[in-house]
Amino acid sequence: MPYDLFEVDKAIPERKKHIYIKKSDDPEAEIPSCNTKTIPGCMTERGCAFAGVKGVITGAVKDAAHVIHSPVGCTAYGYGTKRYPTTSSMPDGSEFPLENFNLKYIMGTDLKESDVVFGGMKKLRQSILEAAKEFPEANAIYAYATCTTGLIGDDMDGVVKELSEELGKDVVAFNAPGFSGPTQSKGHHVGNHTLFQHLVGSKEPPQTTPYDVNLIGEYNIDGDLWILKPYFEEMGINILSTFTGDCCHDEICWMHRAKLSLVRCQRSATYIADLIEKEYGVPYMKVDFFGPRYCAENLRAIGKYFGLEDKAEKVIQDRMAKIKPELEFYKEKLQGKKVWVFSGGPKNWHLPRPLEECLGMEVVAVSTMFEHEDGYEKIKQRAKENTVIVDDPNSLEMEEIIEKYQPDIMLSGVKEKYLAHKLQLPCVLIHSYENGPYIGFEGFINLAKDIYASIYNPVWNLVEFQDEVKEEPLELKELSAEEKSTLSAK
Amino acid sequence: MPESKKHQKKDHPHSPYGEESQELIAKTQKRFAVINPSRMCQPLGAVQALLGIRGAMPLIHGSQGCSTYMRFQLCRHYREPINVSSTSMSEATVVYGGEKNLIQALNTITHQYKPELIGVTSSCLTETIGDDMDSIINKFLQNNHNKIDFPIIPISTPSYAGSHIESYDQTLKALVEKITHQNILKQSLKGLKDENKKSSQINLKDKINVITGLLSPMDVEEVKFILKEMNIESIVLTDNSQSLNSPLDGKVDFLPSKGTTIKQIRDTAYSKATIALSNHANSAGVFLEKEFGVKLFNLPTPIGLRATDEFIETLVKLKNNQISKTLKIHRGQLLDAMVDAHAYNYNRKVAIYGEPDMVVGLTRFTSELGMIPAVVCTGTECNKFKQEIELISSQDGHEIQIISGGDQYDLHQKVKEEEIEILMGNSYSARIAKEENIPLIRIGFPVFDRIGAQRIKIVGYRAGLSLLDLITNTIIEKYYDNLKEEHL
Ligand code: SF4
Ligand code: SF4
Repeated sequence: MPYDLFEVDKAIPERKKHIYIKKSDDPEAEIPSCNTKTIPGCMTERGCAFAGVKGVITGAVKDAAHVIHSPVGCTAYGYGTKRYPTTSSMPDGSEFPLENFNLKYIMGTDLKESDVVFGGMKKLRQSILEAAKEFPEANAIYAYATCTTGLIGDDMDGVVKELSEELGKDVVAFNAPGFSGPTQSKGHHVGNHTLFQHLVGSKEPPQTTPYDVNLIGEYNIDGDLWILKPYFEEMGINILSTFTGDCCHDEICWMHRAKLSLVRCQRSATYIADLIEKEYGVPYMKVDFFGPRYCAENLRAIGKYFGLEDKAEKVIQDRMAKIKPELEFYKEKLQGKKVWVFSGGPKNWHLPRPLEECLGMEVVAVSTMFEHEDGYEKIKQRAKENTVIVDDPNSLEMEEIIEKYQPDIMLSGVKEKYLAHKLQLPCVLIHSYENGPYIGFEGFINLAKDIYASIYNPVWNLVEFQDEVKEEPLELKELSAEEKSTLSAK
Repeated sequence: MPESKKHQKKDHPHSPYGEESQELIAKTQKRFAVINPSRMCQPLGAVQALLGIRGAMPLIHGSQGCSTYMRFQLCRHYREPINVSSTSMSEATVVYGGEKNLIQALNTITHQYKPELIGVTSSCLTETIGDDMDSIINKFLQNNHNKIDFPIIPISTPSYAGSHIESYDQTLKALVEKITHQNILKQSLKGLKDENKKSSQINLKDKINVITGLLSPMDVEEVKFILKEMNIESIVLTDNSQSLNSPLDGKVDFLPSKGTTIKQIRDTAYSKATIALSNHANSAGVFLEKEFGVKLFNLPTPIGLRATDEFIETLVKLKNNQISKTLKIHRGQLLDAMVDAHAYNYNRKVAIYGEPDMVVGLTRFTSELGMIPAVVCTGTECNKFKQEIELISSQDGHEIQIISGGDQYDLHQKVKEEEIEILMGNSYSARIAKEENIPLIRIGFPVFDRIGAQRIKIVGYRAGLSLLDLITNTIIEKYYDNLKEEHL
């Protein structure tokens, strides 16, 4: 049987089908059950659909003001959660006046009891107007439904339509209340469709070139985009729009003008690439820039598409030469270390191979929060025999994974980090990173460095627990004559 | 609510809006929207109270985003693994009500985590649906034929009314109310087994209940230290001093392995008195006084000299004993430092932002230091808060701008207007400090951009001393270190 019911899950046998152990002679269809509702009471690490749209897709846009239609909590928690910095430069060469605007402000309708009873539309309208007044620089206003407003059935689309006209700037409503899907993935989906429907095709770029691409699903976590951008520039490729790292609202509006879409995070953003291809005939290519090998292969593929093979090769050779000595050092240090990768989705199939091939590590466990079937297929393909693959692990399962599979390091998010630490397992954050960026050639070295630093943290040599010590009572050895004399001298 | 004033980040010579829109916008005032909120929602306060109870699992009845967001906040603040469960409501269950989900969640937690208590909070979603948590919990208990050997306590926490401050208070009250209730006394609850034999020999009537209010683990530790120094047997509600500042010892706790026990909560009914070190979290004390005649002493949070004096004087009166020597020394050291530091702190304008008890305490303390607490801000609209601050203002003769129920936008405006020189508040206010180029003393919740939030101390003489050092050195670094040579 390729599925395993963990010891801690006896009371919830439904969990069995989510925990799969890779065997290569299994039929292909055997993967963990996924993208289903979490069992109530199960300590999941998943977030909500609203977090999926605001926290992932739209929060990275540099010049949009966000209005959360919610009681105060959802607004407060939706503030400043992700590290996706932005520059102030705009595509037309001008400067956006507020630096890191996307990280600094969040607005909310702060619903009160009477709004819940009588509806919150008036308040939403007023709050959007206030946003318009407070931040006249903002080039668009994005409004979000949450559970309460989804439930009371406020017609947000109606309000934003009216206001778009009255204000003469785009006001967009995102209808992904927390309960609308089993994970944040639902919010990604809604975000993609909403942005496509309302924006793509509505504006024209200041200029175009034959080498224009959309870089889709790159959110500039800790500056990832700023690693990738020079590769493209050196190849002579122009990133017309990024979806959505360090992008401006208008970039989304002219995505239909690119010659090719590159899909970086394929879980959260293949939807829009697909829609653009269907409607505007812009083809898309799925790309992977984690680890030097994938990075090189994908740059070559892009080079080939545009007939820029030589230039791609040059970028690759240049970066490889730069990182080689360090890569060798880390490989020697990390050889044979066991690793557990636990990300939201795609990093679970991006990272294992590079960790194994380039750093000599051994991936013993992989788990995801919100991956779907297609992702698990890739994870399974790339996993080695007997790797445990877990969909949406609960906190007790995490301890069991650590006990059973004995990883030397865990790559995960902040909620899991401190659990790992208590069990003396070093942990590196891969959602928002420790000392990123982690993408591309140089980024992979940053990741290796953080992994190395965590495993070789000198504190691990100091950890000693009392009961362990108790077992071997201290033996008092006879003092030497010399020691006795120094003692008596005192 | 203060109204929007000259908030000009940049000049806008050309309005980006058309004529009609301009008219529309001109009429708009900041009245409804909240910009960068400075309060959290109700379930969070309940969770914070429950994290100080041994074996307690908080369960939020709603969609899982609420509990995940709260865990995220708590984990990055305390840097500890924190478990907050959810009933994971989905689109389908929203339509039919949450009974099935809640029962299933109780079942899962009972079997997986073997808790000594489950605190069930509602969320905006389930409040709006109107789920009757009491009757669902009863149904669960009946389904299990009284096999459930721990209390399950429902706590109503709709966030569209109030904030985490009110729910912290309500949670303590619900715990005390339910656990001191007769029916529960008869049951053989596993939480009633007291591991600490010695403490159960002490006459219950000698004990003092202490409600700490929302304090950091180190502050609760300090409260316990003071009580111990004064030879007082106490029951602390709720004791997060170890659960949220736990040592690395090779184990991970999924439920707090240390903290206030169910037995202790039950015993609060027999204690000699209750001291509430909070004006905003005393409902449990009021209940105990009314129901069981346990006298309530309501004191300000012991921040700074006078408030700590007041706490210790009350203890002296209650037990008819002397002030401990150690505490006297600590007090003297604080006084000594206050004298030494005064030249730097005198008349410095400070803004203080955070939970009401903390802000009131720090307002008093900074005023004892000779500073001017020119702006104080709390996220909850609260008359008690205003009165407390007004009292300080009339005693010390400073004019204090009070923002009660404001957001960080309002705070920022006032910080600018009043030309504040130093800011005290949580990590969210870092943005304001940076923009105004003033130093920030990080304090309160959440503090996620520095390490050691669970060890921030503001309570008692010793904490006063370290806080005074921090404030003064921050001021020296900012306002003295870069003096031009001719000024020296
Ligand atoms: S729905 Fe209510 S309980 Fe949930 S996060 Fe929002 S404000 Fe808090
Ligand atoms: S109420 Fe809904 S939208 Fe808000 S945080 Fe909770 S799950 Fe997410």
